[in-house]
Amino acid sequence: MGETKKATAVGDMLPGTLDMLILKALSRGEAHGYTIVQFIHGASRDVLKVEEGALYPALHRLEVRGLLRAEWGTSENNRRAKYYRLTAAGRRELEAEAAYWDRVAAAVTRVMQTA
Amino acid sequence: MKAFWHRLVAIVRRRRLDRDLDDELAFHFAMREADYRTDGLSADAAREEARRQFGNVTHLKEQTRDMWTFPSLESFRQDIRYALRTLRKSPGFTFVAVFALAVGIGGNTAIFSLVDAIRSRALPYPDPDHLVQLWGNVQRTRVERRGASYPDYLDWRAESKSFEDIAAVDSQWMTFVGSDEPERIQTEFVAAPYFSLLGVSPARGRVFEASEDIVARPAQVVVLSDGFWKRRFGADPQVIGRTLTLCCAARQYTVVGVMPPGFKGLSDTAEMWVPFAMYASPSTMADRGTRGFAALARLKPGVSLAAAQSDMDAISRRLEQAYPNTNEKRAVEISPLAVELFGQLRPALLTLMAAVAFVLLIACANVANLLIARSETRRREIAVRTALGAGRGRLLRQLVTESCVLTLLGAAVGLVFARVAVSTLIAQSPVTFPSFATPDLDVRVALFTIAVSLACGLLVGLVPGLQAHTPDLSNALKESARSSGGRQSQRVRSALVVAEVSLAVVLLVGAGLMIRSVRNLTALNPGFDPLSVLTLHASIPRTSLPPAAPAAAGTPAAPSPPPRPVVEGRVLLDRLRAIPGVAAVALGNDLPLDSGGGSASFYTAEGQPPVNAQNMPRIYVHRVTPEFFSTLRIPFLQGRTFTDAEVSPTSPAVVVSEGVVRRFWPGQDPIGKRLKFGGSPSSTDPWLTIVGVVGEVKYRGLPQNPTADPDIFLPFTDRNSLVGLVLRTTVPPSSLIATVRAEVRAADRSIPLYNIATMEEQVNSVTSRSRFTMWLMGVFAACALMLAVVGIYGVMSYLVSQRTREIGIRLALGANGQDILRLVVGNGARLIGVGIVIGIAASFALQRLVSSLLFGVTAADAAAGFAVVILAAVAMLACYLPALRATRVSPLNALRSE
Repeated sequence: MGETKKATAVGDMLPGTLDMLILKALSRGEAHGYTIVQFIHGASRDVLKVEEGALYPALHRLEVRGLLRAEWGTSENNRRAKYYRLTAAGRRELEAEAAYWDRVAAAVTRVMQTA
Repeated sequence: MKAFWHRLVAIVRRRRLDRDLDDELAFHFAMREADYRTDGLSADAAREEARRQFGNVTHLKEQTRDMWTFPSLESFRQDIRYALRTLRKSPGFTFVAVFALAVGIGGNTAIFSLVDAIRSRALPYPDPDHLVQLWGNVQRTRVERRGASYPDYLDWRAESKSFEDIAAVDSQWMTFVGSDEPERIQTEFVAAPYFSLLGVSPARGRVFEASEDIVARPAQVVVLSDGFWKRRFGADPQVIGRTLTLCCAARQYTVVGVMPPGFKGLSDTAEMWVPFAMYASPSTMADRGTRGFAALARLKPGVSLAAAQSDMDAISRRLEQAYPNTNEKRAVEISPLAVELFGQLRPALLTLMAAVAFVLLIACANVANLLIARSETRRREIAVRTALGAGRGRLLRQLVTESCVLTLLGAAVGLVFARVAVSTLIAQSPVTFPSFATPDLDVRVALFTIAVSLACGLLVGLVPGLQAHTPDLSNALKESARSSGGRQSQRVRSALVVAEVSLAVVLLVGAGLMIRSVRNLTALNPGFDPLSVLTLHASIPRTSLPPAAPAAAGTPAAPSPPPRPVVEGRVLLDRLRAIPGVAAVALGNDLPLDSGGGSASFYTAEGQPPVNAQNMPRIYVHRVTPEFFSTLRIPFLQGRTFTDAEVSPTSPAVVVSEGVVRRFWPGQDPIGKRLKFGGSPSSTDPWLTIVGVVGEVKYRGLPQNPTADPDIFLPFTDRNSLVGLVLRTTVPPSSLIATVRAEVRAADRSIPLYNIATMEEQVNSVTSRSRFTMWLMGVFAACALMLAVVGIYGVMSYLVSQRTREIGIRLALGANGQDILRLVVGNGARLIGVGIVIGIAASFALQRLVSSLLFGVTAADAAAGFAVVILAAVAMLACYLPALRATRVSPLNALRSE
């Protein structure tokens, strides 16, 4: 194996942002893991490459924290799939994170644009 | 909170959750694969790409599972299961390791349970930490304990403010004359507060009242122990108010109470209690200078020992001013009761605790060595696990869990060992443990054992665990399992061997010193010849019992004869001397080492310069028959024993021990010099004339009498009712015990006999503590030697097998067997040498700690050298055998072996 992590490759995510992206993905309605990955890839125009496996620990963590609810359902191709949905707490968390992200992103942009 | 609940649920439903996770991931893969297929990839390529895209499945699954379980608990469960499986797979290793640990942990548990049993809380009284004994002492060349006098005690009690109460206590034997054979009963003379101080109340009747403590009107009342009440009164519920006859004073005592079962007084052997007012004659009780008993006291809550001490010091100073004649340089020592009762056991047990801890360390070193050897063969396994995503901490935790499982198994077996060992120790111990101190494998001991074994597990698991971390994974995977462990691991193993050797050296030296010290003790000249001597004590009734019936009716009653012994000592001696096998018989009011102690008296030598109170000469007085010296083979340095004419109560003849002469007439002829009792030449006692001088006799202790005060001997004249008898025999003395008993009973069946023992047994009982320690040290040292040798052998064999290839090359290049032998043995010898040097240095450092247990030896003793030689020899043998095997290596096979 010997995988060594480079400091920042394109598409690597800032720590903590994955949770926010998941919450955002689910703000549009319930979805299973695969849809969430597809959404993040698509919406970021393939810039943000979520390591697909890393999604599941994050989903379970959010579920345990009570930000998501999960239910087993049947997928479009008739398979048993686990669907996640935002809870009220999850919605509040998303708002807080988004506001925070805006502030930080704007601040970083200002710093970078200073001559 | 919510998360915690989730996790609790997850513990119960983990199967289901595991399955769900699998399903969820399977769905993801299926979706991804389907997408790739629509992109035009082949089925295989799609699956491959989906996996790659996903990442390390096992690792992520594990991470996910961690979200809803207690990750540490979860992995702990796995580790234990895994550990048990690995241990089952190598039963040989497991057996050796568990056995070594069982010896070490079991030994520690056994000794700990003994130490624990004599902690102060084990005293069967409420709040035992506040119980103390007060001992009067005197400042002479050093401070000597003397006990209290009754007037001093009354003043202490009246003036001190540190104690809830104080009670005088002393223990003596009394003869109970019942319907059957007379019996000697251990009796405690106690002041009324005694029972409330100890917090015990009677099961029946009452204990003593303050009014019964008045010396002028002593109440003849007695409280019985539960055992005595059942044994001699058949547990009679009507016993209160009955009377019983106690001899010596031949007085009637009224039973007022019975104590609850298990209460045996401070002496732990008492069966009766009588008021302290009966302790001695009123005139003796009034004498401030007659001291001999200790007082029991209970510290008030919140009063420290130091505060109480300064309180008593102030009282002592006042008494010193008020009564300079009797109280000059007198003070009070306050000693916790637990120290008084357990003090003599403690140093020996603590030494043994240290010794057995060393044994455990050696066992741990062995197990650590085995684990290192194993971890080297397991490098591949560990590398694979790392490759599969196991974190370093996780691996370390797993190795430590494995070693903890090992040590806990060892502890389980060790507990079985300990159970057997403790009962054997108690049974074999020549030191009597208090009846209430019952070493048991209770919760505290179990906790101790678990703590010790987990500490060992951590210790032996971390050493190979830290080594096992090989960052270079690809190499580890490629390398064959047989390849040599790194240099670093060899260094650790060598260090372990050195540690084992040095620990074993310390223990062997310790054991050698103990053995030597006990031999010194027993080889010591006690001042008499203890071989082939039988000793016993008898209590001869002072007065004849009233005649059974008048001789004939009508004859006028004869005037009652004066009280006299029923059987005079001389008659008894003649009967005993006639027994076949008895060479000589003698009688004394006390005997050497009979632990009666005796009491010392002041005396004055004629023409001595005036002395101050500190330096006032004291002597121990013995009354003996003329044959006493020859029977015990006490050598005469000058003069002679008493003549028959001198055997009278008014005889001025006295035999002194050499200490008297050394002090007052050094270099002069002492025969004919005079001395008398009393602290000053003006005393009214008659002068006594020295007729003989004998060597010093160890009457009161081995290796030395507790104080240097000499002894004097006066003729025995039947004035004493308690006598000690010594018989020098031509046959083994113990074979005569039954005959002697029968002869005494034939002379007078009312004479109680006790303490029948050979003089050798008496000497042995005095040295018993040392011998007990020696014996255990020997056992521990043997364990240590065995474990260390096994360890050295294991490491050397391993090193040889590691170097097979190198040895093969050397042989191929022309080295001969001798060279190889020298190479391997030299390697081991270096380690052993370093270990021995460290061990000897440590022995010298530790010697101070055990000095109280040693007599007449230092670490530089030959015994220590002998121990080291034994260790070196056995250790070299453990190196030699693998080395010999190395010389038989066939170069061809060796080179092929890779």
